[in-house]
Amino acid sequence: MTTLTKSAGFGGYDAHQIASQAAQRRADYWMISGTLLMGCAVLGLIGLPLFFRGIWLQSQAAKAGLTMRPTIVTLIGYLVIIDSALNSIGWTLDLFAHHTLINRVLTTGWGAMFDGGYFWHYNELWLGGAGAPGEKAWEISLIPVLFCARMAAAIGLLQMKRWGQQWLIVTCWMGMIVWFGYNTNMTIFADVRYSHITFPVWGWWLYDIWYITPFLSLPYLHTVNREIFSD
Amino acid sequence: MNTKAKKDLPLGTTETYSTMHKWLQRALFVCLTCLVIEGAFTLPGIAIWMGWPTLSLQQICSELEKVRYSDDSRECIYPYPLFGPSEGAGQTTAKDVWGIQPKPLYRRIGFRDLVRFRDERLARQAAEKKKQTEAPDDGTQAPVAAPAP
Repeated sequence: MTTLTKSAGFGGYDAHQIASQAAQRRADYWMISGTLLMGCAVLGLIGLPLFFRGIWLQSQAAKAGLTMRPTIVTLIGYLVIIDSALNSIGWTLDLFAHHTLINRVLTTGWGAMFDGGYFWHYNELWLGGAGAPGEKAWEISLIPVLFCARMAAAIGLLQMKRWGQQWLIVTCWMGMIVWFGYNTNMTIFADVRYSHITFPVWGWWLYDIWYITPFLSLPYLHTVNREIFSD
Repeated sequence: MNTKAKKDLPLGTTETYSTMHKWLQRALFVCLTCLVIEGAFTLPGIAIWMGWPTLSLQQICSELEKVRYSDDSRECIYPYPLFGPSEGAGQTTAKDVWGIQPKPLYRRIGFRDLVRFRDERLARQAAEKKKQTEAPDDGTQAPVAAPAP
């Protein structure tokens, strides 16, 4: 719950605003540190408690009467950043670092387990990396266009900017198109993607279902009172 | 009108959507936590599944190549030349049913299967080598058809 403290007297409002900003900044320091680590995938377990500490600080400050960012906005903003970062790690490795040892174990190993597109004829294409039909086009278009734009929009949202909310709506709809387009591609070329894979189809869904951020963000972004975001 | 309930709503949430926002927030919490835990365990999990620490990362890489290209002679070159051609370019050993929707025919990799594949291959190669070296010494030779009268 976010309320205005009933500070009496001259300058009470300004004092409340300054205290709120300081409290939000303090919580954000924890959450940003946590997100930087969580966005690195393997360091996520160190980042998660830092992030939750930030959430707890924010919640405590709100309970104390300070004007804080709504928890759901905080979760959407940081989750979008983490989602984009994790997607970008895998795809950037595949696009630019396909012959590194870590990629040839991590990505092709993941491919052999969940998605044959990252195992089938891997590193055979002149560009290197995944050679599954259509895969490279998704990578080249989504890393610079979608994920960068979503991260920028999420930062704007976390700053409670109107453009952040609007651009997150735009990029979440782009995310919807990606989900439908990507899964249609995988279905059409299902033999390449799932034949002789350790955990075919259900394994892929179990692994990737946590990336459904756009589906959780859009209902909120379209129903929130947008007046809380400033121009 | 329940003013208390209204007062407790988060900033930006109207009463109409308060239940939906509450459930979205819970789902977001679950998603974030699962995503982070999954991200943290993916690399070590895959490495262990594929045979680490029994196999080094480079050995895992080699075994994956052998499965992928159905070719026991494949080795993972590391470090790979920076501007070299793709390692699989021009290979002719990978098995597929080719068509407009190709179907791969490589082996499925279960838990620690790469260790088993490697052990079996090494045992097979050692047996073949032993057979080749022992064949002249034990005096046994392949049967030869009797000359025609």
